[in-house]
Amino acid sequence: MKRFIAFALFAGLALPAQAAHPEAKVDCKAAGDKYVYDCMIRLSQDGKPLTGVEVTVGADMPTMPMAHSVKPAKAKPGKDPGMYHVRIELEMHGEWALKLQLSGAVRDLIVVKQQFGDEGSGHAGQKMQMK
Amino acid sequence: MDEYTIGVLTNIGLFSFIALSAYLLLLAGELSFGQQAFFGIGAYVGGIGTALLGWPLPLAALAAMAAGAAAQTLVGLPTLRLRGLYFAMATLAAAEMIRIVLELIHFQRVVDGALVGPDGTQGFRGIRWIFEHGIEPAAFLALVWSLLACVVLLLAWIERSRLGAVVRMVGEDPELAAVLGIDVGRLKLGVAAVAGALAALGGVLFAHVNTYVEPRNFDIMLGVHSLAYALIGGLGTVFGPLLGVALDIGALESTRLFHGYRMIVFGGVVALILVWRPRGLLDERAVDWLGRRLWRRTP
Repeated sequence: MKRFIAFALFAGLALPAQAAHPEAKVDCKAAGDKYVYDCMIRLSQDGKPLTGVEVTVGADMPTMPMAHSVKPAKAKPGKDPGMYHVRIELEMHGEWALKLQLSGAVRDLIVVKQQFGDEGSGHAGQKMQMK
Repeated sequence: MDEYTIGVLTNIGLFSFIALSAYLLLLAGELSFGQQAFFGIGAYVGGIGTALLGWPLPLAALAAMAAGAAAQTLVGLPTLRLRGLYFAMATLAAAEMIRIVLELIHFQRVVDGALVGPDGTQGFRGIRWIFEHGIEPAAFLALVWSLLACVVLLLAWIERSRLGAVVRMVGEDPELAAVLGIDVGRLKLGVAAVAGALAALGGVLFAHVNTYVEPRNFDIMLGVHSLAYALIGGLGTVFGPLLGVALDIGALESTRLFHGYRMIVFGGVVALILVWRPRGLLDERAVDWLGRRLWRRTP
């Protein structure tokens, strides 16, 4: 039993860790319909565009992570390396935490907070125009 | 199973811990609006353990549970003297104080070239243990539900023991329990400590599956939902809160056609259930009825 507990406690130490963390920049524009946005995602790792990954984008409102959440949508690769495009439909304006789930060549989860308004998105904390 | 289903099932598992935490206090006769604070403490302590101190997740989870239990005991020492709504208000105030303290914590350092750690209102990024250790979403789901199964079985066993009967007695009639020689204060404090540890366990798992948490994740909305889980599911059995979470998250996911108004629809459904069955769907009568039917069918 003691051996089992010791193994369970320290199992993680023996496994290799990844070196560099992927980074993401997101820019969303209103797509026309209310609360629908077209988002461009720029992924990079070690300063270079990150390619060959599948990107699934979900979103949560920070004050209620599960009540106001968006069903994840798959992003399509854009023209330039490291660029991905996705259309998301939110439930309301305000601050959302976009969750970029990476799979394939790199597996990771990147959280980007954005403030959504009538025109599109900006960094969380930045005031957006809202009707 | 697709990733979306795995995500929903993981959420049901994670929020079951905080639901069980609220349920335990309800059994002991206390209505807490503050369990989200201990969920948050678990998330932060567990995150600091793995992301900043390099601990393995099981060790960080144990530390988080100890911190959750200690914090709820500290909150319980003065507040458990209060009754009913006064206790509920005191737990809400304590939870808000803890959330504001989390907003004041700035403790970051560079790990693998990135700033990691709590950064006040900007939250705590870089809790990447499960990604760094190649744990797939399905494996993490299995871990969450295995831990939940252990907790539920333990609580179900306790409920059938003398201790379980004593906790229910204290919840129903603390004066009578005191007359019978039960140390009501100490028992409630013990229940509170276990409830804090359970909420913290949910929090540490929540932080690791999301890689990012912020103090606003742990505000009153989560507290209200955790209480609603236990009240909707029912106070007759430990499986009640699990049913409550499944109904809550299931209802939220299935009412997406209502868009931003689905919380209003959901609120109405909750109100109707509580008018129809004030002690939840699996209340003591329902559990008794189910038990007798199952017992009769057993040869």
